[in-house]
Amino acid sequence: MTPIVGAVTGSPSSRRPFRGARGWLYAVLSLGLVGFAGPFVWMVASAFKPETELRRVPPTWLPDSVTLDNFRAIFVDLDFPTYFTNSVIVAAGVTLGNLALCSMLGYALAKIDFPGRRLLFALVVGTLMVPSMVTFVPQFVLVSQFGLVNTYPGLVLPLLALAGPLGVFLMRQYMSELPDELIDAARIDGAGEIRIFLRIVLPLSRPALATLTIVTFLGTWNNFLIPLVMAQTEDKYTMPVALALYSVGQNSTQFGLLMAGAVVVVVPVLVLFVALQRYFVQGIAMTGIK
Amino acid sequence: MAVGMLAARRGAAWWAGLRPRTRRGLAAWGFALPFLIVFAAFLGGPVLAALGMSFTDLRSTDLRDPLGVNIIGFDNYLRLFGDEVFGQALVNTGVFVLGSVPLTVVSALAVALALNRGVTRLRTFFRVGYYLPVVTSIVAVAVVWRFLLEPDTGLVNSVLRSVGIEGPHWLDDPAFAMPSIIVMTAWRGMGFMMVVFLAGLQAIPRTVYEAAEVDGAGRWQRFRHITLPLLRPTMLFAVVVTTIGQVQFVEEPFVMTRGGPLNQTLSVSMDVYNQFGFGNYGYASAMSYALFVVIVALTVVWFRLLRSAR
Amino acid sequence: MRTRRSWAVAVAAMTVSLVTACGRDGGEPGPEAARPVDAGAARGELIVWAMGTEGEKLSELARDFEAANPEAKVNVTAIPWDDAHDKIATAIAGRQTPDVSLVGTTYMAEFARSGALDPTPSIIDGQAFFPGAWDTTVVNGTSYGVPWYVETRLLYYRTDLARRAGVSPPSGWPELTAFARSMRDAAGAQWGLNLQAGGEGTWQNFMPFAWQAGASITDPGGKQFTLDTPAMIEALEFYKSFFSGSLSPTTAPRPGELEQGFVDGSYAAFFSGPWHIELVREQGGPDFAANWSVARMPRRVAGTSFVGGGDLAVFKDARNRDAAWKFVRYLTQPEVQVTWYESVGDLPSVKSAWQDARLSGDPLLKTFGDQLNEAVSPPAIATWEQVASVLDTQVERVVRGVSSPADAARAMQAEATAIGTGF
Repeated sequence: MTPIVGAVTGSPSSRRPFRGARGWLYAVLSLGLVGFAGPFVWMVASAFKPETELRRVPPTWLPDSVTLDNFRAIFVDLDFPTYFTNSVIVAAGVTLGNLALCSMLGYALAKIDFPGRRLLFALVVGTLMVPSMVTFVPQFVLVSQFGLVNTYPGLVLPLLALAGPLGVFLMRQYMSELPDELIDAARIDGAGEIRIFLRIVLPLSRPALATLTIVTFLGTWNNFLIPLVMAQTEDKYTMPVALALYSVGQNSTQFGLLMAGAVVVVVPVLVLFVALQRYFVQGIAMTGIK
Repeated sequence: MAVGMLAARRGAAWWAGLRPRTRRGLAAWGFALPFLIVFAAFLGGPVLAALGMSFTDLRSTDLRDPLGVNIIGFDNYLRLFGDEVFGQALVNTGVFVLGSVPLTVVSALAVALALNRGVTRLRTFFRVGYYLPVVTSIVAVAVVWRFLLEPDTGLVNSVLRSVGIEGPHWLDDPAFAMPSIIVMTAWRGMGFMMVVFLAGLQAIPRTVYEAAEVDGAGRWQRFRHITLPLLRPTMLFAVVVTTIGQVQFVEEPFVMTRGGPLNQTLSVSMDVYNQFGFGNYGYASAMSYALFVVIVALTVVWFRLLRSAR
Repeated sequence: MRTRRSWAVAVAAMTVSLVTACGRDGGEPGPEAARPVDAGAARGELIVWAMGTEGEKLSELARDFEAANPEAKVNVTAIPWDDAHDKIATAIAGRQTPDVSLVGTTYMAEFARSGALDPTPSIIDGQAFFPGAWDTTVVNGTSYGVPWYVETRLLYYRTDLARRAGVSPPSGWPELTAFARSMRDAAGAQWGLNLQAGGEGTWQNFMPFAWQAGASITDPGGKQFTLDTPAMIEALEFYKSFFSGSLSPTTAPRPGELEQGFVDGSYAAFFSGPWHIELVREQGGPDFAANWSVARMPRRVAGTSFVGGGDLAVFKDARNRDAAWKFVRYLTQPEVQVTWYESVGDLPSVKSAWQDARLSGDPLLKTFGDQLNEAVSPPAIATWEQVASVLDTQVERVVRGVSSPADAARAMQAEATAIGTGF
């Protein structure tokens, strides 16, 4: 981490006035952080509040009375292991699939000159611009025609298709910035495209792959509509569907359960984010040495 | 076994005998095929089917017999021109995008720059913290923001009152509801853009900056002539994706104001959602594709503005 | 070159055949005859969908049904409330419907019109149900499904504040205004009566007044809208008067604020359904019970309230139709209806169930039961959701002073007619 800092702080003579500026920066960032992290903190605190306190107006910040009832309802009353496992299977499946498929197509579009690449890119990214709501019913009809309703492929494939265009866009943009010389040299040396892809391009694309992982995982993990419709029996429900089921009634909502559920659902995403954060830092070393 | 090896050797010989251009073309399509199969089946098909739907008067009551509908050509699209609610939603969406996208870009860039170089300690802590709105449940976000924007007891108006300004009924006033939603959505979207900018910033080699410093370039000059240009492809990606996402904004107005008051915060996506809810599938599809045209136009604009000059 | 042309020809041919295959048959579907159900016990597997709490608790009732019908097996899947409409609609599109499902009363017409629902057979007696509830299942002369549970709206009010203000529950419209005003002026409430000013669902607060004034949404045949009438205008003016007279807030109370305000006296009265009994009890605690009660709707030409709830529908694509209807019939037996009330708190749709002491003995419930005899549901038309949204918007315009009641009524009629009844 530290070598980079040297480039920014400038020459030794300007270090003194800089410290004041640095202090201000920390202060401003911390103030901003309160604004940004505030609702999240409230959400976590609220997961420990009883329902009556949650209905109180004005809302309280820290719980007046701490209760574990909401969490108990999630882990004990709900069939938590099933829903959580389903969420993991679906999100992991879509993320891994997306990483593989999008990096492959992204590389082809970015670095291989073949007829039709422009059109293909436009078509794929074009669907990104189609409001997804509109594909809903046709997608379901199609999945049921394939006999995939209430199966894991039936949950993963539509989500994979939905996440694809974004991934292709990201990978292609990133890979097109990689230096051609490296790849051309490898081609001249007689390396096949597959080897170039696996040995040269993929390792250099790690920041993009990390970003894609976060984005795909988050989008899939929180996706509600596809699992709602594609699952016919409760044993295929994912976490968001199960939470909506148990916390929203015809005329009232159980906020405690909703908050506790939101907290439980957010933990894997944050873990992934923090883990990949360190990845970004390692990524620097890769691009620095050239 | 022997047959297999023979076939493999024959295959390899055939491959080696191809012209490099053909080989490249085949390799490219080989890379593309897995994606394209999934894509064509589960997205391409439904997208085209929905497009077809927009030329019919399909309603939810026709779902068991989808072919038994009338093809009405562009009637749905023409109807959009006369639809007052759609017109208002379109204006709302335009105002929203003009306000929200620049706000998100500027704040995300500022935070990304600060976190990339400016601070050394607690970097992960800050990064995660600024990303939290993206993963916080919209229900929690709504409760907290509604509390902040309360006309009498909310934080925003209390602060304004301390400097002598009487703040409005933020969410209930037709004039101020949309600005509130703009700020809230920018706040929510900033985290994702920050992550993308961070990845882009970290791909810029230190050596380039060091060389510029040796040449005597100041911080602002380094920013303008190194950071910004090298960040262009990343920026293009982040801006396009965020624009596409925000043009379709529906969650925030849905949870905060339900599109009110008096449809002042109704977005086109919400209108589409309502129309689907009413069962007007053909009309809703046409509206979606009208929105699609808007999105394409905006994307083209961004591509023109931010395409990296090489 | 040749391949490209033959592609073009193939695509053109496909498009032409698709286009000519499309098209509606003229004419309107008439009443549909119900097919009979065989006698004897139910057999085989039964797939049932129900939303929320009903979905969770229904499995328990299903055990009793299985005990009485040993060869039957009931599988209940719970689905979320908010998106049930989408899920059922897509299931219909993909022909992946269950045998039976709970369906919100306002969606019945739409699903019936799509041809997805099975007409109610003769083993079910329509007369056993409250007429307003039964009407939610009748589409174009045929009944599709049965009302499972019902809800209706009453006036919740603070009895102690009323005593202090010297008023009693309002019998008519002028009395309601005086009631709200006294609550505010003499008993110190901030809002004499809470009414919804706009947004989704406003029609549920407003329409009872329209019905009380003698207005109706459609003509008796259900073919034409009748929204631009003097009675409707009168109701709009009455509704608006509460807001312009500062008796009702134009800003809706936040979740939890209404119950809290009712208990601390800032909201003296509001209209709602049976679910609020528990919410108020929870908020106020046991000592609060003596301070509040419910009262029937005020009378103008009539004392009508809104009736809603949940219906049970059997699908045409059901794999086990006979068992499905037998299960439905089981759920509408009076004793089972009372057991269901005890388990979940949903009010029975069957009239005779109300004679049970558990319901008739509770004064609050008894009032709900009485009101159910004078409660009306919106018309069973496929386009109801969209028409309701028009009502919501126009009522909001009147409340905010953007539109006059006469203009709003005219706009309602014009827009609703443009939307049509879906028939």
